[in-house]
Amino acid sequence: MNKQFKLILAALVAVTTLFTVPAFASQTVKVGMSGRYFPFTFSQRDVLQGFEVDIWNEIGKRADYKVEFVTSSFSGLFGMLEAGHIDTISNQVTITPARLEKYVFSTPYVVDGAQIVVKKGRTDIQSVDDLKGKKVAVNLGSNFEQLLRAFDTKNEITVVTYDSGFEQDVVLGRADAFVMDRVSTAQLIKKSGLPLQQAGAPFQKIENAMPFLNTAEQTAIRDKVNETLLSMRNDGKLAEISVKWFNTDITK
Amino acid sequence: MQTSLDVQYIVELLPILLKYLGVTMEMALWGFFFALILAVVLAVIKVFKVPLVHQAAGLFISFFRGTPLLVQLFLLYYGLPHYIPALAGMDAFTAAVIGLSLHFAAYMAESIRGAILGIDKSQMEACLSIGMTRLQGMFRIILPQASRVATPSLMNYFIDMIKSTSLAFTLGVAEIMAKAQMEAASSFKFFESFLAVALIYWAVVVFFTRIQHIVETRLNKAY
Repeated sequence: MNKQFKLILAALVAVTTLFTVPAFASQTVKVGMSGRYFPFTFSQRDVLQGFEVDIWNEIGKRADYKVEFVTSSFSGLFGMLEAGHIDTISNQVTITPARLEKYVFSTPYVVDGAQIVVKKGRTDIQSVDDLKGKKVAVNLGSNFEQLLRAFDTKNEITVVTYDSGFEQDVVLGRADAFVMDRVSTAQLIKKSGLPLQQAGAPFQKIENAMPFLNTAEQTAIRDKVNETLLSMRNDGKLAEISVKWFNTDITK
Repeated sequence: MQTSLDVQYIVELLPILLKYLGVTMEMALWGFFFALILAVVLAVIKVFKVPLVHQAAGLFISFFRGTPLLVQLFLLYYGLPHYIPALAGMDAFTAAVIGLSLHFAAYMAESIRGAILGIDKSQMEACLSIGMTRLQGMFRIILPQASRVATPSLMNYFIDMIKSTSLAFTLGVAEIMAKAQMEAASSFKFFESFLAVALIYWAVVVFFTRIQHIVETRLNKAY
């Protein structure tokens, strides 16, 4: 074997490995979540778990994606999505007109309602109207502030945004109420044992889905996710995961 | 709500958080390493008043001292990738180290510059008289003496940097503060979780304060 032939052979091997390896290894999808939203995504004894984690492990299995979970405070997740650090957010992101302008969403996988929660024993707050003149806590970066504003045309509600821990502030009396999706409020009250209660009925239907950047590459992932979610819905896997965490089907 | 402090929970949480102390310390050590190099370069440039570069160094120091570290981290991690797409591949850990380095370099440059100016002018004159260049004089004679003077304040910056790594949780770095928050979110034991993380920071800082003491005693031996 002469030297030139060896070189060409080496180059050939290099080129083929370069092209074949990515084709065989499964694609990595980076899924952003807060890890601070019980029981959707949370860490207990250092194990990241929850409804969203189960959903994505199943999507990964069915669509042959290698799923990598990236945890960051909720308010940072959209920045990471925009900057391309993650492919999508799986953290009960509500579809809103403003977000629809910027992102492409998967099909909704959770249907829920916005719920007011107050300190136990408090009866003066039963609806959004009762929140006027009150201090209401919401999660920073969440859409509940805009939701409240839509009902509060005269700007009479004081909305305070928190990165985490607002339930404590409602108990301590620093805020009069907080607003979150109904399902998680029920879980939070049960799990935390804090003296809190739901006030009135949910005041707005909300649909949660996963946002992707509106590029060809990301839309392709979105389409694959939709296909996988549909198959999970059809064979009952989606409902099964929901029942595991919530004892009820919150996916439709 | 008045519940008693759950000491048991803190005891169980500490080993979980300690697993991530490595990430915190790695950020602080790398950050300090790069910050120190950059700070020396900036200080020497400012002392020599190298034309143009001197003004650029001044601008750099002014910006990184004049804006909050959190804002710098956000600019670096969430802002810049929009204009420099290659930066999107930068992970949160790297971004945090870069942010910490730049921020602290600005402060440290000023205290190193102060230490250099504190060394008697005759020292440099002596260097020049025996044929050293100004740069040789700086690195062989002036900086070694200045380092003794600068050590206490540089160690202070290092301790400050260890604590500042806690801001990296906002970028999604899984360090001890992020872990404490996540555990708190599922256990609802906020006070216990943050107390645990505070105890860890405190213990680490006490440890490095000891080291600072030993280092200073050593450096002062000759005096």
